[in-house]
Amino acid sequence: MTAKELEGLMQLNELSLSDKEGADMLSLFEDMKKSEDVLTAIDTENVEVMVHVMPMTNVFREDARKQNFSRESLLAGAPEHTEDSWQVPRLVK
Amino acid sequence: MRDYITEASGNIAVDDMILVKDMQATAGSHMLEGFVPLFSAEAVERLENKGYSIAGKANVGEFGLDLVGEFSYYGAAAEGENLCGGSAKLVKDGSVKAALGVDLNGAPRRSAALSGVAFMKPTYGTVSRYGVIPCACSGEQIGVYAPNMKAMQEVLSVIAGHDAKDGTSLMHETYDYDTDLEISGVKVAIIKEMLEAASEDSRAKVLAYAENLKKKGVVVEEVSFELARAAQSAWQILMAAETCNNLSRYDGVKFGYRTPNYENIDELYVGSRTEGFNLLTKQTILYGSDVLSKNRYKVCYDKSLKVRRVVADAMKAMLSSYDAVLTPVCSEMQYTAYDISDAFKNVFKESFFTAIPNLIGIPALSVGGVQLMGNHFDESLLMSLAKSVEGMGA
Repeated sequence: MTAKELEGLMQLNELSLSDKEGADMLSLFEDMKKSEDVLTAIDTENVEVMVHVMPMTNVFREDARKQNFSRESLLAGAPEHTEDSWQVPRLVK
Repeated sequence: MRDYITEASGNIAVDDMILVKDMQATAGSHMLEGFVPLFSAEAVERLENKGYSIAGKANVGEFGLDLVGEFSYYGAAAEGENLCGGSAKLVKDGSVKAALGVDLNGAPRRSAALSGVAFMKPTYGTVSRYGVIPCACSGEQIGVYAPNMKAMQEVLSVIAGHDAKDGTSLMHETYDYDTDLEISGVKVAIIKEMLEAASEDSRAKVLAYAENLKKKGVVVEEVSFELARAAQSAWQILMAAETCNNLSRYDGVKFGYRTPNYENIDELYVGSRTEGFNLLTKQTILYGSDVLSKNRYKVCYDKSLKVRRVVADAMKAMLSSYDAVLTPVCSEMQYTAYDISDAFKNVFKESFFTAIPNLIGIPALSVGGVQLMGNHFDESLLMSLAKSVEGMGA
């Protein structure tokens, strides 16, 4: 992992680290990479991935409109909102 | 610093990773400060429907990612110099009858061990995750903190059972838990690698617990489980990857924290997430993002999903020869405060003891400072083993 690659990851995840935190993160990546050797050592050539540990079922419901929560109650948790919408900075100039 | 948050009188505390309608839900994070959910988790509703009342929300580490809650934005729970979890402390103090917690990387099991109470992470899918603030969906599970197995059985019986609102909920309508199964002749394996990795005091706990079980007619043997390290690495990768995805919803727009310092949408996103998450969460997101990246996906994420199957098969084989597994739950029996820059490594180190149940969905009971694991749906056996030695001392 290079500093440039870390910068790319931070951009992708909308995060920022200080210089010291960035240096620590690079060192952490190196440590974690070493810890992954234990996985490489396991032969998984003919092993299927196991995404879910237990049987899964789709959750279906009737295809009918249902109003769970009012717009007002959903907007109540927003950091900023207008009367009926979330509010963000202007995107188009 | 606050030890824990309580908002009302009642008999069940709820970790702040679980939604209770009209009670602030923060997941221990600045990111969710002030967030008030519109509905309660299914487990909470089931308790309320049976006449239990919710005492309030118990403090947790940010998104449950730390050791025992030491890096909550709202302060660490501690007893003197020693760290402990909010819910575990409340149960230990007798302030509540029991508590609900979310186990995604062992924090509740460690908290229970340090406080001298019990925590059961039940079989994946037995308790609905509807209303859990999600991080590592494929392995996280609501469980119960309790002072003894009677209370554990009682509360677990109420919250377990199929919930159509949760796609990962198993189809059993109810679970008939028992704490009085015959345990004489039951065979328990101690995982040698974990015993060797624990400190002297933690190892002594396991050996003393084994001696008590033997007095009850349980056969205890040390065995090797060489995949323990692989399970730890695989869960770290899957947990981080899933956390990375789940925490992408926090953008400072729809709910939660928004930085006051922005002039455009990019600054809003980056500022809100950078100020809203602590360093451990940011590191987990970045590691998760890395293992999902094009160059690393095959060797990390995909590999971990395959190793999950290898570990599940190996544990199944072990549990065909033995009825349960006994291990340390922490490397040490006391944690003291440390700097957050060491958190990722510290948690990874401790997850060696706790990762297997999260990775493959088996039940794990932290009790008496040790951990009992069993086959899927063997909660009754684990509780019966624990109950048989209650009060015998270490």
